[in-house]
Amino acid sequence: MSAGNTVRRRDFLRAAAALGVGGAVWKAAAPAAGATVWQLDPQKCVQCGRCATECVLSPSAVKCVHSYQICGYCDLCGGYLQPSARDRDTGAENELCPVSAIKRTYIEDPFFQYTIDEALCVGCGKCVKGCALFGNGSLYLQVKQDLCVHCNECAIAKACPGDAYRRIPAEQAYLLKTRPEGGNGQE
Amino acid sequence: MKDSTASRVFAVIAAAVTAAAALVALQQWLACRPPHDIVVNLSGRDGRPEGGASADIATDLSGTHQEFGGAAASLPGAWARFRGPDFDNICKEGYRLAEAFRDGGPEILWSVELGEGHAAPAVLNGRVYVLDYDESARADAVRCFSLEDGQEIWRHSYPVNIKRNHGLSRTIPAVTDEFVVTIGPRCHVVCLDATSGAFRWGVSMQEEYGSTEPLWYTGQCPLIDNGLAILAPAGPDVLMTARACATGEPVWQTPNPRGWNMSHSSIMPMVFEGTRMFVYCAVGGIVGIAADGPDAGRILWEQPWSANVVAPSPVPLGDGRVFCTAGYGNGSLMVQVRKAGDGFRAETVFERGPAEWLACEQQSPIYYDGLLHAIMPKDAGALRGQFVCYDPDGSLVWSSGPANRFGLGPFILADGKFYVLSDDGVLTVLEQNREQYVALAQARILDGQDAWGPIAIAGTRMLLRDSTRMVCIDVSAAPGESVSQ
Repeated sequence: MSAGNTVRRRDFLRAAAALGVGGAVWKAAAPAAGATVWQLDPQKCVQCGRCATECVLSPSAVKCVHSYQICGYCDLCGGYLQPSARDRDTGAENELCPVSAIKRTYIEDPFFQYTIDEALCVGCGKCVKGCALFGNGSLYLQVKQDLCVHCNECAIAKACPGDAYRRIPAEQAYLLKTRPEGGNGQE
Repeated sequence: MKDSTASRVFAVIAAAVTAAAALVALQQWLACRPPHDIVVNLSGRDGRPEGGASADIATDLSGTHQEFGGAAASLPGAWARFRGPDFDNICKEGYRLAEAFRDGGPEILWSVELGEGHAAPAVLNGRVYVLDYDESARADAVRCFSLEDGQEIWRHSYPVNIKRNHGLSRTIPAVTDEFVVTIGPRCHVVCLDATSGAFRWGVSMQEEYGSTEPLWYTGQCPLIDNGLAILAPAGPDVLMTARACATGEPVWQTPNPRGWNMSHSSIMPMVFEGTRMFVYCAVGGIVGIAADGPDAGRILWEQPWSANVVAPSPVPLGDGRVFCTAGYGNGSLMVQVRKAGDGFRAETVFERGPAEWLACEQQSPIYYDGLLHAIMPKDAGALRGQFVCYDPDGSLVWSSGPANRFGLGPFILADGKFYVLSDDGVLTVLEQNREQYVALAQARILDGQDAWGPIAIAGTRMLLRDSTRMVCIDVSAAPGESVSQ
């Protein structure tokens, strides 16, 4: 035994017990095999805005997510700017998001990066609609599973006019968009 | 009486207590620290550098010239500029063209790889001219091909740095027997000898006129009119200018009193009340400028329009009305030009949103037989992406229906048929019909994406492109069949 080892056997037992209890808690909390969760299919979403208003949570557990792989990093971003925005900048009068949840950052001429502040996003889908109309659909909505309270009957799914909500395996709890084959992000 | 007094006393006490409570609440409210993390959304918080776009636009436009093995074809037909001979995107050469395709689609006569983009060809004297972008050499390249077999004849290149921003090339050259004039994505104008490709002159509109480069680079196609290159730099001082093709010298200049900016739209000639004028839809408004005589270059009429991005070109309807449209939520504007004393004035007939009336995001509408035809933009509601026909005095006549959407693709009218190319390279033939949508044939021509470059037809040969490849197909009514006149 090394003279420098200061960990007592009592501490070792305590740590082992804590590890065991933690593992049991994690095991109990982890989804069982075959468990499913609610998720929104971005291909079916019609950006009606009900994700923001129908969720039992306020603000909604639905948030905008951004596929940087698809994004064109446009200066004139249909997801960030009002359709008739006079200027392409961060002035509130030009922003489409009602809660300023999208941050616009200059990268290099002529490209800008758009990031979502999830804490501010209310899931209204206005940016998603703008991006779909004038961009390439890199902004889309997803149910954030860490926020969702997993209602048995999802209030949004019940109200969704696009029938975009469905149960998917909890192990793969998101329906993520990817860049189409051969696309360059600037479609 | 006693009860009344008691009630009053009670009321006074209640009021006093309420007031005291309100004062205490107010005092507590004012004592609280106000929110300190409110951020006011002001302009300029995205880190965009002062001065806007990078200024690396200076270049030697005399560039380099290369010769290749191709030779001009001895084939009939011409499509020498954007929107064709009469600026209406209607081919009137009189050839019988296909209304049905054989199995497997029309024959692809030749194809060439191009730099990524949407630049489309002009055709004259058996030569095909394309302003391409050579990404490996980082150069604009005016390329001349043989209409016969697509072999390159010559190439004039000049260095210019272009980053991929929804494609790298944009415009269509203007060609006459003597000259070819091009406008590059970054507003470089070059004039070459149409036969040999020898450099005549060049000018950078950003350097010369202080033009502001539009979003995604400029889509303005040049115009050659009576030996003059007509350009719309829309700089602080010069809205439009004419330069002699032979020398490059300015012949006239139009001031820009309202400070309008360059759009992707191109200058369209129009004749009204015997006066020839150039119509241009800038970012800021629409203007008509005298084309001839001592008045050449003078503003005849103007009409402000708030569209912030304008790609389609104005469409004169022949009676003084000019139809302007734009995507990105802007919709459309119908302007009526009238004679007013010795001059002209313009007034708005209507301005409508994209979900209310005909609009087009990228291509310019075709006006034929009193009807307007176009592909609706993505924000047109149920009509998005559909090919539509509108009565300029009324409303929707017909549409292609939800099963037939074409995206941002180009379309052309020839031999009584519309040829419409979808984003992904499927060519659809439609009957020109006043009553209803009638599809005649359909074939996949291209396998790529973003097939947005306008279509050219010369004789019975049709030139189309997607983002990286240009093809020449045979669209004759029957192989070997020629003129039907």
